[in-house]
Amino acid sequence: MQHLILQLTLILEFAIFASVVFMHLVKKNATTIHLYTLQSAATAALLLIAALRHLSPMLLLAVTATVIVKVCLTPYFLARLIDTHQLKFSTSTYLNSPLTLLILAGFVAFAHSPFFAPLVALSQGNPTLVLISIATLLGSLFLLINRKGAISQILGIISIENSIVTFALFSGLEQSPALELGIAFDMLIWVLVAALFTSMLYRQFGTIDVTTMRKLTDSPQ
Amino acid sequence: MNMLALLFATPLAAAILSIIARKQRMITLVAVVATALEVVLALLISAKTASGSVVALTGSFAAPALSCIVLVTIAVTGFFCALYSSGYFAVEVAKGIVGFRRVRQYFALVHLFLLAMFVATLTTAPMIMWIAIELTTLVTAFLVSFYNKPSAIEAAWKYLIINSVGLLLGFLGTLLFFTCLSDAGTALVTWDTLRAAASHLNPSIAKISFVLVLIGYGTKVGFVPMHTWKPDVYSKVPTPVAMLFSGPLVNVALLALLQFKIITDAAIGSAFTGRMLIVFGLASVLLAACVIFTQWNFKRLFAYSGIEHAGIMALGFGFGGIGTFAAILHMLYHTLAKSVLFTATGNVFLKYSSTKIERVRGMLTTLPATTIVFIAGFLATVGLPPFGIFFTEFYIVAAGIGAHPIATAGLILSLAVVFIGFLKQAMRMTFGAPPKGVSAGEGSYATLLPPMVLLGILFIASVYLPFGVKAFIETAAASL
Repeated sequence: MQHLILQLTLILEFAIFASVVFMHLVKKNATTIHLYTLQSAATAALLLIAALRHLSPMLLLAVTATVIVKVCLTPYFLARLIDTHQLKFSTSTYLNSPLTLLILAGFVAFAHSPFFAPLVALSQGNPTLVLISIATLLGSLFLLINRKGAISQILGIISIENSIVTFALFSGLEQSPALELGIAFDMLIWVLVAALFTSMLYRQFGTIDVTTMRKLTDSPQ
Repeated sequence: MNMLALLFATPLAAAILSIIARKQRMITLVAVVATALEVVLALLISAKTASGSVVALTGSFAAPALSCIVLVTIAVTGFFCALYSSGYFAVEVAKGIVGFRRVRQYFALVHLFLLAMFVATLTTAPMIMWIAIELTTLVTAFLVSFYNKPSAIEAAWKYLIINSVGLLLGFLGTLLFFTCLSDAGTALVTWDTLRAAASHLNPSIAKISFVLVLIGYGTKVGFVPMHTWKPDVYSKVPTPVAMLFSGPLVNVALLALLQFKIITDAAIGSAFTGRMLIVFGLASVLLAACVIFTQWNFKRLFAYSGIEHAGIMALGFGFGGIGTFAAILHMLYHTLAKSVLFTATGNVFLKYSSTKIERVRGMLTTLPATTIVFIAGFLATVGLPPFGIFFTEFYIVAAGIGAHPIATAGLILSLAVVFIGFLKQAMRMTFGAPPKGVSAGEGSYATLLPPMVLLGILFIASVYLPFGVKAFIETAAASL
């Protein structure tokens, strides 16, 4: 049974990392959101496994909040944003796909470097899980930098949050359930605000490509 | 009712009243009364703490000396922000720049901003502090985009993204500090719990964690190289609220950083955190010195001045000893000096309808009283005597000259360059012939009195620091 749980955990964590890789490669905004939904569902499943292992009803409540906020509400708000403004296709990336994949591979290698050894030592079971979490975090940060679209930037940030949650889980750093609820609520507000600002950006600039925003560099006159 | 509960309830109630109010006069009255009450409460809480009593609420909130000092800076700046905003927006509404709805939103957001800062300052739990500081980002993003112009939206987006990424790294750093607890369980982790268990923190983890929180909360402070949002945001927020960004918000983020510094120092000694603060502090003052000459917008100029002062405070905390005391005192003086400058330049903006230095000429002719306050605020900010910043910078230099001569030399050089750069820009604005169409004459008392009163407070606090206040600051410094 223990072995089965470990295998399942590994598959879920790998799915989270794979979602970040595919977020870098896909062209449609809707697909990126679906990938985020999948990532969040995998994160919630990992939390659920932890909740069942600890037999904690409060932790189950936190899992419920995660499902509501990250699997249901966040994708819903972002999908509505796409529908409202017809933002079907994401704006391009700074680097092409092969180079992006090469850098992501570099992140995986970097996660295995001695630099992160103290963090890997925190692992509560399989150190590979912590390593994948770190690689996911670096990949999500790169998503934020590499893609030019505002929606991709939002997804990059909430994906960082998911990778921190899984890192904390595999390092035994879960917070109190009340605080987990607070953080989930905070993330919901963040997504709402970010979605609102994306709408405002589109209205003002006619695009959500952040590279077209040049209004702050006006002249001294 | 518990004083802390009342302090949290006041801005919340004021925000609700601002939303439901039907008249602008009502909104401004609520704002002034609520913020005045917050000043009284902040002073009472501080006095109680100074007398040795413990002010706490449900174990999740408390008011130790350092938190009280930050609390007072928030409350006092909040009061003057509300007072000055009343007159400022009366002019903007009369000019048709903003309407009643926008004013209502503005005051509601300011109250929520103050509430988030109060919670962040007084909480005993690092994670609640993180949530509250994250909330300041969400609330203030709407203040940055307040005028709804493309440039303002762009600045707000940049602010939201940069600060959110920074704070997420801070979140990870905060979680890593929890590794020192043998069993975190489901109880709320407090600063005290972490301090007590700090000796169990793995030294490598302690270093990684501190670097992450330094990047996280340092983004909010505006340390170089995470400062990039600051000039854009300062140039776009309504001028009265810029004083809340430049003083209290920086102090709150510094408070978070200092709390983690205490834990890291307990785990691995103060050399590492000191060195990190010196590196980031020196980078900040050097960058400010490099770019101050090329600034063409006075609000951006003040943003770089803010980055410089954040760097000076970081250097003070990094040097330690008398530097720590001076850095805390610097927090107070810098908050007041920037409030003087922002209220004075608010009047300049109302008169010239521009924040571009090139378009602001002959202030001495058009706004003589405001110009005197502006010049005094400028002298205070660059650290000329008799203003307090002169003494705090002197103490910080004295603290660093022995053990860190290169960093101290860099600081002295930067202070001299910033002074010359700032002087050049201030003189350009003060003298010369005013542009056509700009008539002479001050605005109303509502916009003139707040900067004058602030300058009076700054001057008195500079030349006379009551023994009790000095002792209180020493207590706060001793806790670091």
